[in-house]
Amino acid sequence: MYRGQDEVSLLRCSLAGETEAWGEIISRYKDAVFGLCVGFLRNRADAEDITHDAFIRAYVNLRRYDLERRFSTWLFTIAANLCRNRLRYHRNHPVVELPDQIRGGPDPATVVAREDRHAHVREALTHIPYGYRAPLVLRFYNDLSYREIADILAIPEGTVKTRIHRGKAMLKQRLEECDAS
Amino acid sequence: MRSNELDDILREALRQEVAERSSALAGLQEHVVAELGDRRPRLRLSDWFRQLVAPSRGGRIGQVCVVGGTAAVCLLFGFFVATRLAPDPGAPALRLSPSRNPDGTQEVVFVLPALNATNVSVVGTFNSWEPTALSDEDQDGIWMASIPLPPGRYEYAFVIDGRWWGQDPLADEYVRSFGEYSSVRYVGRGGDGA
Repeated sequence: MYRGQDEVSLLRCSLAGETEAWGEIISRYKDAVFGLCVGFLRNRADAEDITHDAFIRAYVNLRRYDLERRFSTWLFTIAANLCRNRLRYHRNHPVVELPDQIRGGPDPATVVAREDRHAHVREALTHIPYGYRAPLVLRFYNDLSYREIADILAIPEGTVKTRIHRGKAMLKQRLEECDAS
Repeated sequence: MRSNELDDILREALRQEVAERSSALAGLQEHVVAELGDRRPRLRLSDWFRQLVAPSRGGRIGQVCVVGGTAAVCLLFGFFVATRLAPDPGAPALRLSPSRNPDGTQEVVFVLPALNATNVSVVGTFNSWEPTALSDEDQDGIWMASIPLPPGRYEYAFVIDGRWWGQDPLADEYVRSFGEYSSVRYVGRGGDGA
């Protein structure tokens, strides 16, 4: 019923309490929000939780959304804030992340067989501090502009550029160390 | 490694990671919609007011009723507050301004509400802790006594049907000695006679 409707009319229907319209919004944005959460948190279970919570929170607070802004930017801001809170929580309540093979993910042999350069990048990304990782994810996964990243992370645009530059330098160094070993 | 190459690898790595894990998102919208149930986006105060004065089925008359009703409620509330806060000229103030006597003393009023009491007195440094009776002539439960006192600092307490009551709400401060509170009133500079 709502498939094919434009975003603004979906949001208007959602405001009127039509949760099915909100379901359509979710199906359009769930990959983007989940990708942001995975990139920020580097933990699949947490990313699933936060993606779910972000859509609930966005719906409940939908009247705060300013139509002048891009909806995606507003939604990503909510998700980014939730991720930040979760990371803060984990700083006080550390968890031990299980390796992929224990979680039932692809085994190392398969990864090697696929010549997984991407696995190295993801591993390297995990070791980059959050303040540098978040702008990299928003830039290269969510394809956002510097201005939008600055809005979402509540930092100046110049800082975003600097952090992306330094984040990439850290990533590059880590990959080169990995290659050397 | 060139910068563009790193950008591409990073982009591709993140997309692949999400693609591998996106099975976790199957049914997300159904879960969220079910959890939301009949909930509606939360109303903000400004939206609430806008809805209140927005044209409704009742049209113009409905709006006038709403605005008029709100104004009437505000007026009633204002009247209520004004009548509660304004002093009633017929009623005694709880703490009367002391009048200065020719001998330099001031009439200091001690007043205490004690609805079910039969005997209330005040004891203090001004009467060497010997009871001075308070009276309740109109039987309204408010006991009063006016005692002429020269300027100074006075400790005192009420005795209500033989029980010590040392925390007079109208006192300037309290002191505690031998496990009992007493009230303190300053007469003269900075106190009742100021």
